[in-house]
Amino acid sequence: MAGKGGATPATYSPSPTTNRKKKPPIFKEDWVRPDGRGFHQCRPAFFRTGAVNAASGSAYAEFGNTKVIVSVFGPRESKKAMMYSDIGRLNCNVSFTTFATPIRGQGSDHKEYCAMLHKALEGAIILETFPKTTVDVFALVLESSGSDLPVVISCASLALADAGIMMYDIVASVSVSCFNKNLVIDPILEEEIGQDGSLMITCMPSRYEITQLTVTGEWSTTKINEGMQLCLDACAKLAKIMRSCLKEVASDSQE
Amino acid sequence: MEEEKEAVMVTPGEVLGRTSDVKAGRGAYAALHNNTVYASLTGFRHTVPPAPDSSDLRPTVEVTGHKAHGPVPQPGSVVIARVTKVMARSASADIMCVGPKSVREKFTGIIRQQDVRATEIDKVDMHLSFHPGDIVRALVLSLGDARAYFLSTAKNELGVVSAESIAGATMVPVSWTEMQCPLTGQIEQRKVAKAAS
Repeated sequence: MAGKGGATPATYSPSPTTNRKKKPPIFKEDWVRPDGRGFHQCRPAFFRTGAVNAASGSAYAEFGNTKVIVSVFGPRESKKAMMYSDIGRLNCNVSFTTFATPIRGQGSDHKEYCAMLHKALEGAIILETFPKTTVDVFALVLESSGSDLPVVISCASLALADAGIMMYDIVASVSVSCFNKNLVIDPILEEEIGQDGSLMITCMPSRYEITQLTVTGEWSTTKINEGMQLCLDACAKLAKIMRSCLKEVASDSQE
Repeated sequence: MEEEKEAVMVTPGEVLGRTSDVKAGRGAYAALHNNTVYASLTGFRHTVPPAPDSSDLRPTVEVTGHKAHGPVPQPGSVVIARVTKVMARSASADIMCVGPKSVREKFTGIIRQQDVRATEIDKVDMHLSFHPGDIVRALVLSLGDARAYFLSTAKNELGVVSAESIAGATMVPVSWTEMQCPLTGQIEQRKVAKAAS
Protein backbone atom coordinates (compact mmCIF):
# COMPACT_ATOMS: atom_id res chain seq x y z
CA MET A 1 0.00 0.00 0.00
CA ALA A 2 1.17 3.54 -0.57
CA GLY A 3 2.56 5.33 2.46
CA LYS A 4 2.20 9.07 2.84
CA GLY A 5 5.11 11.20 4.00
CA GLY A 6 5.40 13.02 7.31
CA ALA A 7 3.05 15.72 8.52
CA THR A 8 5.26 18.50 7.17
CA PRO A 9 7.03 17.24 4.07
CA ALA A 10 10.02 19.44 3.29
CA THR A 11 11.38 20.22 -0.12
CA TYR A 12 15.11 19.97 -0.49
CA SER A 13 15.68 23.20 -2.36
CA PRO A 14 13.62 26.20 -3.44
CA SER A 15 11.85 25.32 -6.65
CA PRO A 16 11.95 28.01 -9.32
CA THR A 17 8.42 28.95 -10.24
CA THR A 18 8.97 29.26 -13.97
CA ASN A 19 10.52 25.81 -14.17
CA ARG A 20 7.44 24.18 -12.70
CA LYS A 21 5.50 24.81 -15.87
CA LYS A 22 7.68 22.77 -18.17
CA LYS A 23 7.24 19.14 -17.21
CA PRO A 24 10.22 16.84 -17.73
CA PRO A 25 9.65 14.12 -20.34
CA ILE A 26 7.81 11.00 -19.27
CA PHE A 27 10.17 8.39 -17.94
CA LYS A 28 11.35 5.78 -20.42
CA GLU A 29 13.62 2.81 -20.13
CA ASP A 30 16.25 4.29 -22.39
CA TRP A 31 16.14 7.63 -20.62
CA VAL A 32 19.51 9.01 -19.63
CA ARG A 33 20.02 11.32 -16.68
CA PRO A 34 20.74 14.94 -17.58
CA ASP A 35 24.35 14.74 -16.39
CA GLY A 36 25.01 11.31 -17.85
CA ARG A 37 25.13 9.35 -14.60
CA GLY A 38 23.69 5.92 -14.03
CA PHE A 39 20.59 5.59 -11.88
CA HIS A 40 22.51 4.32 -8.87
CA GLN A 41 25.56 6.53 -9.25
CA CYS A 42 26.24 9.52 -7.02
CA ARG A 43 27.82 12.76 -8.11
CA PRO A 44 31.55 13.18 -7.45
CA ALA A 45 32.14 14.29 -3.86
CA PHE A 46 34.84 16.69 -2.72
CA PHE A 47 35.52 17.53 0.94
CA ARG A 48 37.98 19.84 2.61
CA THR A 49 38.28 20.84 6.27
CA GLY A 50 39.71 23.98 7.79
CA ALA A 51 38.11 26.36 5.32
CA VAL A 52 37.22 29.06 7.87
CA ASN A 53 40.01 30.34 10.09
CA ALA A 54 37.89 32.05 12.74
CA ALA A 55 35.80 28.96 13.43
CA SER A 56 36.71 26.14 15.79
CA GLY A 57 36.03 23.74 12.95
CA SER A 58 34.91 24.12 9.38
CA ALA A 59 34.43 22.12 6.24
CA TYR A 60 33.70 22.70 2.58
CA ALA A 61 31.86 20.19 0.41
CA GLU A 62 31.00 19.87 -3.25
CA PHE A 63 28.63 17.34 -4.75
CA GLY A 64 28.65 18.06 -8.43
CA ASN A 65 27.45 21.65 -8.58
CA THR A 66 26.10 21.79 -5.03
CA LYS A 67 28.58 23.73 -2.91
CA VAL A 68 28.27 24.05 0.87
CA ILE A 69 30.47 25.55 3.58
CA VAL A 70 29.88 24.86 7.29
CA SER A 71 31.43 26.56 10.33
CA VAL A 72 31.33 25.28 13.89
CA PHE A 73 31.83 27.54 16.89
CA GLY A 74 32.20 26.37 20.44
CA PRO A 75 31.75 24.86 22.91
CA ARG A 76 31.07 28.35 24.13
CA GLU A 77 28.92 30.02 26.73
CA SER A 78 25.18 29.71 26.29
CA LYS A 79 23.13 32.86 26.10
CA LYS A 80 21.93 34.10 29.44
CA ALA A 81 18.30 33.70 28.48
CA MET A 82 18.64 29.94 28.08
CA MET A 83 17.80 27.52 30.83
CA TYR A 84 20.47 25.59 32.66
CA SER A 85 21.26 22.31 30.98
CA ASP A 86 23.27 19.39 32.29
CA ILE A 87 24.19 18.39 28.76
CA GLY A 88 25.46 20.49 25.93
CA ARG A 89 23.26 22.33 23.50
CA LEU A 90 23.39 22.28 19.71
CA ASN A 91 22.25 25.20 17.57
CA CYS A 92 21.99 24.87 13.81
CA ASN A 93 21.47 27.47 11.14
CA VAL A 94 21.19 26.82 7.41
CA SER A 95 21.09 29.69 4.95
CA PHE A 96 21.37 30.15 1.21
CA THR A 97 23.30 32.88 -0.53
CA THR A 98 21.36 35.16 -2.83
CA PHE A 99 23.18 33.70 -5.82
CA ALA A 100 22.70 30.08 -4.78
CA THR A 101 19.63 29.36 -6.87
CA PRO A 102 18.96 29.90 -10.59
CA ILE A 103 16.48 32.63 -9.67
CA ARG A 104 18.31 35.28 -7.70
CA GLY A 105 16.49 35.88 -4.47
CA GLN A 106 16.76 36.91 -0.87
CA GLY A 107 19.35 34.92 1.05
CA SER A 108 16.92 33.57 3.54
CA ASP A 109 17.08 31.14 6.42
CA HIS A 110 15.29 27.87 5.91
CA LYS A 111 13.73 26.98 9.21
CA GLU A 112 12.81 23.45 8.24
CA TYR A 113 16.37 22.82 7.08
CA CYS A 114 17.70 24.04 10.43
CA ALA A 115 15.38 21.67 12.29
CA MET A 116 16.30 18.73 10.10
CA LEU A 117 20.02 19.42 10.39
CA HIS A 118 19.65 19.62 14.17
CA LYS A 119 17.79 16.31 14.32
CA ALA A 120 20.37 14.65 12.11
CA LEU A 121 23.35 15.79 14.19
CA GLU A 122 22.14 15.63 17.78
CA GLY A 123 21.91 11.85 17.71
CA ALA A 124 25.58 11.57 16.78
CA ILE A 125 27.18 14.12 19.13
CA ILE A 126 28.10 13.12 22.68
CA LEU A 127 26.42 16.08 24.36
CA GLU A 128 27.45 15.06 27.88
CA THR A 129 31.06 16.00 27.18
CA PHE A 130 30.38 19.76 27.27
CA PRO A 131 27.75 20.50 29.93
CA LYS A 132 26.14 23.92 30.14
CA THR A 133 27.78 25.12 26.93
CA THR A 134 26.61 25.52 23.36
CA VAL A 135 27.95 24.39 20.01
CA ASP A 136 26.80 26.53 17.08
CA VAL A 137 26.74 25.13 13.55
CA PHE A 138 26.36 27.57 10.66
CA ALA A 139 25.82 26.14 7.19
CA LEU A 140 25.89 28.27 4.06
CA VAL A 141 24.82 26.90 0.70
CA LEU A 142 26.92 28.65 -1.92
CA GLU A 143 25.35 26.94 -4.91
CA SER A 144 22.18 24.87 -4.92
CA SER A 145 21.97 22.13 -7.51
CA GLY A 146 19.77 19.49 -5.96
CA SER A 147 20.11 17.30 -2.86
CA ASP A 148 21.29 20.25 -0.80
CA LEU A 149 20.31 19.02 2.64
CA PRO A 150 22.25 15.71 2.48
CA VAL A 151 25.36 17.65 1.46
CA VAL A 152 24.83 20.10 4.33
CA ILE A 153 24.49 17.26 6.85
CA SER A 154 27.58 15.41 5.66
CA CYS A 155 29.62 18.61 5.59
CA ALA A 156 28.42 19.61 9.07
CA SER A 157 29.49 16.32 10.59
CA LEU A 158 32.91 16.77 9.01
CA ALA A 159 33.14 20.27 10.50
CA LEU A 160 32.20 18.95 13.93
CA ALA A 161 34.91 16.31 13.72
CA ASP A 162 37.35 19.02 12.66
CA ALA A 163 36.36 21.10 15.69
CA GLY A 164 37.19 18.25 18.04
CA ILE A 165 33.61 17.71 19.22
CA MET A 166 33.21 14.17 20.53
CA MET A 167 30.91 12.13 18.32
CA TYR A 168 29.65 8.58 18.24
CA ASP A 169 30.36 8.36 14.52
CA ILE A 170 30.64 10.45 11.40
CA VAL A 171 27.25 11.26 9.93
CA ALA A 172 26.72 10.65 6.21
CA SER A 173 23.57 11.50 4.31
CA VAL A 174 22.24 10.64 0.86
CA SER A 175 18.85 11.08 -0.80
CA VAL A 176 17.04 9.20 -3.54
CA SER A 177 14.19 10.18 -5.85
CA CYS A 178 11.37 8.04 -7.15
CA PHE A 179 10.15 8.22 -10.75
CA ASN A 180 7.16 5.91 -11.24
CA LYS A 181 8.86 2.61 -10.47
CA ASN A 182 12.50 3.60 -10.80
CA LEU A 183 14.88 4.95 -8.19
CA VAL A 184 17.41 7.66 -8.93
CA ILE A 185 20.07 8.33 -6.31
CA ASP A 186 21.50 11.75 -5.45
CA PRO A 187 19.13 13.70 -7.72
CA ILE A 188 20.04 17.05 -9.24
CA LEU A 189 17.72 20.01 -9.38
CA GLU A 190 16.09 19.10 -12.70
CA GLU A 191 15.33 15.62 -11.42
CA GLU A 192 13.96 16.85 -8.12
CA ILE A 193 11.43 19.05 -9.86
CA GLY A 194 9.68 16.17 -11.58
CA GLN A 195 10.02 13.47 -8.93
CA ASP A 196 7.08 11.47 -7.58
CA GLY A 197 8.65 11.05 -4.16
CA SER A 198 11.92 11.41 -2.33
CA LEU A 199 13.69 9.62 0.50
CA MET A 200 16.57 10.95 2.57
CA ILE A 201 18.59 8.86 4.99
CA THR A 202 21.12 10.13 7.52
CA CYS A 203 23.09 7.38 9.19
CA MET A 204 26.19 6.58 11.21
CA PRO A 205 27.82 4.05 8.89
CA SER A 206 30.20 2.19 11.20
CA ARG A 207 27.50 1.68 13.81
CA TYR A 208 24.87 1.03 11.13
CA GLU A 209 22.35 3.29 12.84
CA ILE A 210 20.02 5.85 11.27
CA THR A 211 19.73 9.28 12.86
CA GLN A 212 17.12 10.62 10.45
CA LEU A 213 14.75 9.32 7.79
CA THR A 214 12.58 11.63 5.71
CA VAL A 215 10.04 10.37 3.19
CA THR A 216 7.91 12.54 0.92
CA GLY A 217 5.46 11.60 -1.79
CA GLU A 218 4.01 8.18 -2.43
CA TRP A 219 6.06 5.06 -1.79
CA SER A 220 5.29 1.38 -1.68
CA THR A 221 6.81 -0.69 1.10
CA THR A 222 9.11 -2.60 -1.20
CA LYS A 223 10.27 0.61 -2.84
CA ILE A 224 11.05 2.16 0.54
CA ASN A 225 13.13 -0.85 1.50
CA GLU A 226 14.94 -0.75 -1.80
CA GLY A 227 15.57 2.98 -1.50
CA MET A 228 16.82 2.66 2.07
CA GLN A 229 19.26 -0.07 1.12
CA LEU A 230 20.48 1.99 -1.79
CA CYS A 231 21.07 4.99 0.47
CA LEU A 232 22.80 2.96 3.16
CA ASP A 233 25.26 1.54 0.65
CA ALA A 234 25.96 5.01 -0.70
CA CYS A 235 26.42 6.37 2.84
CA ALA A 236 29.01 3.70 3.61
CA LYS A 237 31.01 4.70 0.55
CA LEU A 238 30.59 8.39 1.36
CA ALA A 239 31.86 7.85 4.91
CA LYS A 240 35.06 6.35 3.53
CA ILE A 241 35.65 9.52 1.54
CA MET A 242 34.98 11.65 4.61
CA ARG A 243 37.34 9.64 6.81
CA SER A 244 40.13 9.88 4.27
CA CYS A 245 39.61 13.65 4.15
CA LEU A 246 39.93 13.93 7.95
CA LYS A 247 43.03 11.75 8.04
CA GLU A 248 44.67 13.61 5.19
CA VAL A 249 44.29 17.00 6.83
CA ALA A 250 45.41 15.71 10.22
CA SER A 251 48.50 14.03 8.80
CA ASP A 252 49.29 17.17 6.83
CA SER A 253 49.11 19.24 9.98
CA GLN A 254 51.44 16.81 11.69
CA GLU A 255 54.08 17.18 9.02
CA MET B 1 56.22 -6.24 27.93
CA GLU B 2 53.72 -4.62 25.64
CA GLU B 3 55.19 -2.13 23.26
CA GLU B 4 53.21 0.92 22.33
CA LYS B 5 51.80 0.46 18.88
CA GLU B 6 52.83 2.68 16.03
CA ALA B 7 50.63 5.74 15.65
CA VAL B 8 47.51 5.01 13.63
CA MET B 9 45.09 7.75 12.59
CA VAL B 10 41.48 7.14 13.55
CA THR B 11 38.30 9.13 13.01
CA PRO B 12 35.05 9.20 15.00
CA GLY B 13 33.21 5.90 14.78
CA GLU B 14 36.15 3.68 13.94
CA VAL B 15 36.37 0.44 15.90
CA LEU B 16 39.26 0.32 18.36
CA GLY B 17 38.63 -3.09 19.88
CA ARG B 18 36.28 -5.17 21.97
CA THR B 19 35.31 -4.20 25.50
CA SER B 20 36.63 -7.55 26.67
CA ASP B 21 40.08 -6.72 25.28
CA VAL B 22 40.57 -2.98 25.86
CA LYS B 23 39.24 -0.19 28.02
CA ALA B 24 38.02 3.11 26.59
CA GLY B 25 40.17 6.08 27.56
CA ARG B 26 40.24 9.68 26.38
CA GLY B 27 38.70 10.26 23.00
CA ALA B 28 37.04 6.85 22.94
CA TYR B 29 33.84 5.33 24.24
CA ALA B 30 32.43 1.86 24.78
CA ALA B 31 29.15 0.88 23.14
CA LEU B 32 27.60 -1.65 25.49
CA HIS B 33 24.98 -2.95 23.08
CA ASN B 34 27.61 -4.69 20.95
CA ASN B 35 30.62 -4.67 23.35
CA THR B 36 32.74 -2.55 21.03
CA VAL B 37 35.06 0.38 21.73
CA TYR B 38 34.83 3.21 19.19
CA ALA B 39 36.81 6.40 18.70
CA SER B 40 34.96 9.65 19.32
CA LEU B 41 37.65 12.06 18.11
CA THR B 42 40.01 12.40 15.17
CA GLY B 43 43.57 11.69 16.17
CA PHE B 44 46.21 9.08 16.78
CA ARG B 45 45.43 5.84 18.52
CA HIS B 46 47.52 5.04 21.60
CA THR B 47 47.52 1.97 23.79
CA VAL B 48 48.44 2.43 27.44
CA PRO B 49 49.50 -0.73 29.30
CA PRO B 50 47.58 -1.46 32.50
CA ALA B 51 49.09 -0.48 35.82
CA PRO B 52 51.17 -3.34 37.28
CA ASP B 53 49.17 -3.57 40.48
CA SER B 54 45.80 -3.26 38.80
CA SER B 55 43.47 -6.22 38.84
CA ASP B 56 42.15 -5.29 35.40
CA LEU B 57 44.59 -6.64 32.84
CA ARG B 58 43.08 -4.83 29.87
CA PRO B 59 45.09 -2.00 28.33
CA THR B 60 43.54 1.42 27.84
CA VAL B 61 43.16 2.76 24.33
CA GLU B 62 43.16 6.54 23.81
CA VAL B 63 42.82 8.93 20.90
CA THR B 64 45.10 11.97 21.17
CA GLY B 65 47.16 14.30 19.09
CA HIS B 66 44.69 16.09 16.90
CA LYS B 67 43.40 19.50 17.82
CA ALA B 68 40.65 19.50 20.40
CA HIS B 69 38.07 22.16 20.95
CA GLY B 70 38.83 25.03 23.27
CA PRO B 71 38.98 24.26 26.99
CA VAL B 72 35.75 24.29 28.97
CA PRO B 73 35.72 24.93 32.73
CA GLN B 74 35.11 21.75 34.71
CA PRO B 75 34.41 21.40 38.43
CA GLY B 76 37.77 21.09 40.14
CA SER B 77 39.85 22.91 37.54
CA VAL B 78 41.91 25.97 38.42
CA VAL B 79 41.14 28.98 36.25
CA ILE B 80 42.51 32.47 35.73
CA ALA B 81 39.78 35.09 35.59
CA ARG B 82 39.45 38.85 35.35
CA VAL B 83 37.09 40.52 37.81
CA THR B 84 34.49 42.55 35.97
CA LYS B 85 32.09 43.66 38.70
CA VAL B 86 32.19 43.71 42.49
CA MET B 87 28.92 43.70 44.42
CA ALA B 88 28.07 43.53 48.11
CA ARG B 89 27.81 39.76 48.27
CA SER B 90 29.55 38.51 45.12
CA ALA B 91 32.02 39.39 42.40
CA SER B 92 31.61 38.67 38.72
CA ALA B 93 34.60 37.51 36.67
CA ASP B 94 35.38 36.48 33.11
CA ILE B 95 37.25 33.19 32.89
CA MET B 96 40.24 33.63 30.59
CA CYS B 97 42.33 30.50 31.16
CA VAL B 98 41.46 26.97 32.21
CA GLY B 99 44.62 25.53 33.66
CA PRO B 100 47.46 26.43 31.29
CA LYS B 101 45.21 26.94 28.26
CA SER B 102 43.39 30.10 27.32
CA VAL B 103 39.74 29.89 26.33
CA ARG B 104 38.62 31.03 22.91
CA GLU B 105 35.48 32.71 24.15
CA LYS B 106 34.90 33.92 27.66
CA PHE B 107 32.91 32.08 30.28
CA THR B 108 31.27 33.96 33.13
CA GLY B 109 32.18 33.03 36.69
CA ILE B 110 30.98 34.33 40.02
CA ILE B 111 32.76 34.43 43.38
CA ARG B 112 30.25 34.46 46.21
CA GLN B 113 30.89 35.98 49.61
CA GLN B 114 31.06 32.62 51.33
CA ASP B 115 33.67 31.35 48.86
CA VAL B 116 36.26 34.13 49.24
CA ARG B 117 38.19 32.67 52.17
CA ALA B 118 38.00 29.71 54.47
CA THR B 119 37.97 31.65 57.75
CA GLU B 120 35.70 34.42 59.08
CA ILE B 121 33.26 33.88 56.26
CA ASP B 122 30.67 36.24 57.73
CA LYS B 123 33.09 39.16 57.93
CA VAL B 124 34.17 39.14 54.29
CA ASP B 125 33.93 42.53 52.62
CA MET B 126 33.83 42.05 48.86
CA HIS B 127 35.18 45.53 48.12
CA LEU B 128 38.23 44.86 50.32
CA SER B 129 38.90 41.56 48.54
CA PHE B 130 38.57 42.30 44.83
CA HIS B 131 38.53 45.25 42.50
CA PRO B 132 37.33 45.42 38.89
CA GLY B 133 40.21 44.61 36.57
CA ASP B 134 42.05 42.33 39.00
CA ILE B 135 43.41 39.04 37.72
CA VAL B 136 42.47 36.23 40.10
CA ARG B 137 43.28 32.56 40.33
CA ALA B 138 40.24 30.56 41.39
CA LEU B 139 38.92 27.04 41.67
CA VAL B 140 35.76 26.01 39.84
CA LEU B 141 33.39 24.77 42.52
CA SER B 142 30.54 23.67 40.29
CA LEU B 143 28.81 24.41 37.05
CA GLY B 144 26.73 26.93 38.98
CA ASP B 145 23.49 28.16 37.52
CA ALA B 146 22.43 29.22 34.06
CA ARG B 147 24.38 32.44 34.24
CA ALA B 148 27.79 31.70 35.72
CA TYR B 149 30.16 29.10 37.05
CA PHE B 150 30.71 29.15 40.81
CA LEU B 151 34.32 29.99 41.66
CA SER B 152 36.12 29.83 44.96
CA THR B 153 39.26 31.52 46.29
CA ALA B 154 39.08 29.89 49.72
CA LYS B 155 42.63 28.54 49.64
CA ASN B 156 46.01 30.15 50.31
CA GLU B 157 47.22 29.83 46.73
CA LEU B 158 43.99 31.25 45.29
CA GLY B 159 43.07 34.90 45.06
CA VAL B 160 44.34 38.02 43.35
CA VAL B 161 47.56 37.42 41.44
CA SER B 162 47.81 40.78 39.69
CA ALA B 163 46.22 44.14 40.37
CA GLU B 164 46.73 47.72 39.28
CA SER B 165 46.80 50.66 41.63
CA ILE B 166 45.08 53.99 41.16
CA ALA B 167 48.32 55.32 39.69
CA GLY B 168 48.23 52.59 37.07
CA ALA B 169 51.17 50.51 38.22
CA THR B 170 51.11 46.80 38.96
CA MET B 171 51.01 46.39 42.70
CA VAL B 172 53.26 44.13 44.76
CA PRO B 173 51.73 41.77 47.34
CA VAL B 174 53.01 42.53 50.83
CA SER B 175 50.76 40.26 52.90
CA TRP B 176 47.83 37.95 52.42
CA THR B 177 45.43 40.87 52.63
CA GLU B 178 47.43 43.81 51.29
CA MET B 179 49.10 44.98 48.12
CA GLN B 180 51.33 48.03 47.71
CA CYS B 181 51.89 50.36 44.79
CA PRO B 182 55.60 50.65 43.96
CA LEU B 183 55.18 54.23 42.73
CA THR B 184 53.15 55.90 45.44
CA GLY B 185 53.45 53.46 48.33
CA GLN B 186 49.69 53.30 48.63
CA ILE B 187 48.47 50.11 50.31
CA GLU B 188 45.23 48.52 49.10
CA GLN B 189 43.27 45.62 50.53
CA ARG B 190 42.97 42.44 48.44
CA LYS B 191 42.50 38.72 48.94
CA VAL B 192 46.04 37.94 47.80
CA ALA B 193 47.08 34.60 46.35
CA LYS B 194 50.14 32.96 47.82
CA ALA B 195 52.91 33.05 45.24
CA ALA B 196 53.90 29.70 43.82
CA SER B 197 57.44 28.88 44.88
